[in-house]
This record gives sequence, C-alpha cells and structure tokens, in this order.
Amino acid sequence: MAIWLVLVRKEVVEALRSMKAVWLPLVFILLGAMQPITSYYMPEILKHAGNMPEGSIIQIPVPSAGEVLAQTLSQYGTLGLLIVALAFMGMISSEINSGTASFTLVKPVGRTSFFLSKWAAALLLVWLSFAAGFGASWYYTVLLIGAPDAGAVVQGFLLYGLWLSFVVTLTLLFSSLLRSPAGAAFASLGTAAVLAVASSLFPHAWQPGLLAGIAAEAVQAAANPKATAVVMITAAATALAAVLACLSMKRKALP
Amino acid sequence: MNELLCVTGLKRTFGARAAVEGIDMSIKEGRCVALLGPNGAGKTTTIRMLTGLLPPTSGTIKFRGEGMEDDFRRHIGYLPQAPVYYGWMSGRELLVHAGRLCGLSAAAAEARAAEMLERVGLSDAARRRVGGYSGGMKQRLGIAQALVHRPRLVIMDEPVSALDPIGRREVLALMRELKEETTVLFSTHVLHDAESVCDDVIIMADGRVAAAGAVEELRSRYRQPIIELRVEEDARSVAWADEMADGRRKLPHVDSAEHRDGSLRFAVDDLDAARIALMQELVREGVKAARLEAGFSTLEDLFLKVVEGRGNLARTRS
Amino acid sequence: MNQTANLDFSKLVMVLAPLFFIQFILLVIALVMLVRADATRGPKWMWALIIIFINIIGPVLFFVIGRRDRR
Repeated sequence: MAIWLVLVRKEVVEALRSMKAVWLPLVFILLGAMQPITSYYMPEILKHAGNMPEGSIIQIPVPSAGEVLAQTLSQYGTLGLLIVALAFMGMISSEINSGTASFTLVKPVGRTSFFLSKWAAALLLVWLSFAAGFGASWYYTVLLIGAPDAGAVVQGFLLYGLWLSFVVTLTLLFSSLLRSPAGAAFASLGTAAVLAVASSLFPHAWQPGLLAGIAAEAVQAAANPKATAVVMITAAATALAAVLACLSMKRKALP
Repeated sequence: MNELLCVTGLKRTFGARAAVEGIDMSIKEGRCVALLGPNGAGKTTTIRMLTGLLPPTSGTIKFRGEGMEDDFRRHIGYLPQAPVYYGWMSGRELLVHAGRLCGLSAAAAEARAAEMLERVGLSDAARRRVGGYSGGMKQRLGIAQALVHRPRLVIMDEPVSALDPIGRREVLALMRELKEETTVLFSTHVLHDAESVCDDVIIMADGRVAAAGAVEELRSRYRQPIIELRVEEDARSVAWADEMADGRRKLPHVDSAEHRDGSLRFAVDDLDAARIALMQELVREGVKAARLEAGFSTLEDLFLKVVEGRGNLARTRS
Repeated sequence: MNQTANLDFSKLVMVLAPLFFIQFILLVIALVMLVRADATRGPKWMWALIIIFINIIGPVLFFVIGRRDRR
C-alpha cells in the first residue's frame, strides 16, 4: 500500500510536469462550454448567414437545457474519447518499451501495484477533467438557456463518468497488451465505437455501449429502466479489463 | 562462506531458439563474480531472469540467507546494460523515488540519495533533469540507484563496455570499492575486466556454463604446458611449420599445434620431454628457430578455447 | 460584425472571453513546452505553426504525439 502510494505520487507529479494535468481539463472545459454557446447562438448565426434564399423563414428553436447537456455528452463521446485515448495510450507501453518499467519492477514492487497506480492516476485525471468540462457546460447552460434539473445533471454526470472510466481502462489494458501506443488508442476507440454502434443496432443487448445513451437521457430527466443493470455490467466490464491488464503485466517479459 | 544465490537448470527459450540452455550456478556471499562470455552467450538473458524481469522457461532461482524469504528484490540492486530513467525527474528525485520503492521512509530515502550522489560524484548535478545527463553520468546514476537500498547482491549487466577509457576506469574503481561491502555479479565480454576486479568467474558460451570457479582455481585447473615457437621466413621452415600446424607431422609429447599471432603454439603433456623432442626435430629438419618460449596457458587461452570451441569444455571438465 | 449587430454584443464578448482566454493559455503552455522539449517528432517550427494556427486541436496534437521523451 505504501509502495502503491509512492507510485501514484510519481504518476501525479509526472502528469503535472508534462502538463497533462493542466491541458486535459482545459480541453474538456473548452469542449463542454462550446456546446451551450453554439446551441444558443446557432439560430442567430443561421439567420444572419446570408446564403439563405430570400424570404425563407427558418425557425430553429433554442434547445432546452437538458438537450444542450445531452449534446455536450455526445461531444465527449467523439472528440472527448479520442483525446482521452490519445492522452493515455502510451501510459504503460511506452514505459515498457523505454525500459523505465524495468527500473521500477526490479524493485520490490508488485506488477499489480504498478498497473493499479497508473489506473488510479488516469481515472483521477479523467474524472477531474470531465467534472471541470461538464461543470463549464452546466454553467453556460444556466447562463444562456436556463437551469436544468440539478439532480438529473449529477446523475447524467456520474453515468457518463463511468462510461469514460470504462474506455480509459480499455486504453490501459491495450497499452499493456500492445507494444504500439497508437495501436492501443485504435483498439480501445474501436472497441468503444463497436459497442456504441451495437447499442443502437441492438438496443436490447445489455452492454456498456448503452451507457452513453442512458446518461444522455438522464440529464434530460428521463429515467431508463435498464440503467441499474447497465451500470452493473459496465462496472464489472471495467473491473474485468483491469484484472486482464494485471494478468498481462504479470506474464510480461521486460527488457 | 554462505551461499547467497543458487540457480539450477535455468532455461529460457525465445520461440524455437534457446538463449539459455539449462545452467547451474551458485554465488557465495561476499564474492565478486564475473559472468564472462562472448556476445550472444546468454549473459543478459540470465541476468534478466535473476532480476525477475524475465520469467524462466524452466529451472529455479533461489536466494538464500536470512531475511531473503520475503521479496528477494528487496535485496538486489540492478544496473542494466543501457540504463533508462525518468528523464523528467532530477537526479536527486530519481534516487529518492528508487529508495522509497525499496521501502525506505521519505527521510531515509532523502539521506541515502544525498549520500549516493556524493559517492558517485553527481552532487553538483543533483538538481538537473536526468534527461540532460551524459552517458557516463547516467551510468553513475544507475550505480547509485542500484545501491540506494544497500542491497546484498548487486547485479550489473556490462557495466563498463559502453564507456570511454576514463569512465571505464572510474566504474572499475567503484566496483572494486563495492566488492568490499557487498556481493557483486557483473557480466562482461572482456576477460581483462573480469580478471582485474573479480574473485570468481563463470564463463558462458552458447547458453551454457562452460567453466566456473575462483580465478586462481580456474587458472590452475585449466593450466596446460605450452611451447611457443617462432621460425624464420625461409621456405623450408615455413613448410615445416605448416605441416606441424595441420597435423601431417607429429612429435612425441605434443598434443596439438596451431598458428597464432605469427608463432606456432604447441600444447604439450610434458614440458621437458616435449622441449627436447622439439629441439631435436628442429636440428634434424634444419628449421631455423627465431624464438622459443616455454610456459603455461593463461585464462585468456581458456576463454578463447571456450569461445571458439563453443562450450565443449564443459564436457571435458566433468 | 454588423451582420450580428442585433445580437447583444457585450454579452457575446462576456460569454466568449473566458474561452478565448483558456485557448490562449493552452497555446502558451504548448509553445513553452515546445521550446523546452529535448526532442520532437518533426521540426520544431512545424509544431509552432500547428500550435498557433490550429485552434485547440493543434496544442492537443502537440501534447499527445509531438513530444519525444529523452530519458
């Protein structure tokens, strides 16, 4: 436990020195804040775009607060996931490739501890960034559009946070399995994309891919009866991915 | 002297290729041991298995001695062949981190880090980022991080081969100091480095242990009387030398003859008898000797024999 | 700007100012890291252009793939 804390501390210091702990939240804030702003000004911008045929009247209603926050989540579902996967793709493989993992693991440090410290640091950073970004989105929504139901927003935040945690865990799993960081990003994004597509094709198959949609419904105060089950399944899948990553670390030959 | 490390039947294959083919070795506490062998002999693979980085295909590695029952890695320090450290840390931070990973408290790790930096001469660079260190500085930092927790066995993979002559001398001096305090195992492909620092040698070739023992013991065990003869360049002498070398001409008490460094080298069973036989032969055949020297084979001869003979010494030994 | 004249201009500035500020910070951090980097994938001037001229994505690209750690 004491050793694990030393490792976590090293990960946190590294995230601060490499500025990852700064730029990731900032990017999430930009992504989050942009959505309510575009939603609010879009009708105006279209009205003044000037390339509309003369006399055409387009009524684009400004969406509701809940809808705006749901759109924010879908932003995180594309660009957000991409950035998260890119940010953590090399967290394990680059240490193994360069030999710094060997430096750590010839010391009396368990390979499970090694993985768990990275997992904890990655989750901490992602939850922090997502909280900052979603908070910014919430703030701008209240400012420009109106106040959504706070309970619904928090529920949607927690649900979507779990989906992000699942994807981060996948990225770390693939980072421990594959030598190439790009391969890890590709594999984890690919898995997330397949699950997301599957969720619209087979809405009755309960799997983590449904969680993004459930979170988007939750912020609009629409409860999904499947929510509890999908949360359990996603949490279990996340834990499984972490266990697999630990096993892959344990069997690994290090340079 | 207590046995610190005992390895039996250690084997590692990569695909179909066996890098280490079942080796046995033992290291006694307080000794400085060289793992000597040509490139590709399996030294690095062996060391990676000893440090726990590479799981063996089969075989056992046992650390003995009191306090070794828990995680053996607490008691070993490892300097890899090409040390790589977190470039964003300062030298001091890296040593503190290494110490804490070995279970030292924050205060103890700080104190030890300062002490080790002083010892390897990096005190002035302690606050600089490791990423900006030169190769020699990284090597010294590597030694410091391997020693920070006072290990009972220090394992070094080719500690001097990548260094320039000055760095080499510094590190060899440090190793001589080190062997007074703890047990050291290091690999090298340079016999001279092994002879000048260590007490014991384990010679590896083709993934096997070809010979092992204390330097003096090996020297006497494999000591063979030899005669070196240099002849003039005239046609008669050269023809005679060639006939000797390829075995067409035989002499009593001479086991073998070969060309080496412009001389003819005879391995003999009885130095005096062979010398007389050889001199009579020289007179009889009218060969012009330029220089004749009698002596005994050195460790280098043994090493070369192992390297060229691909480990068949192991068979003659047993 | 006169096309959007009937928007509340001061409100627009108030809304966008923090975002521009964050973008600016991102850009500055990326440029500082670029200058201090030991090694980059590709020439530094290329990364400088990418960071300055591609909003948000430019700095992010530099952070995730631009730096090559010298260890």
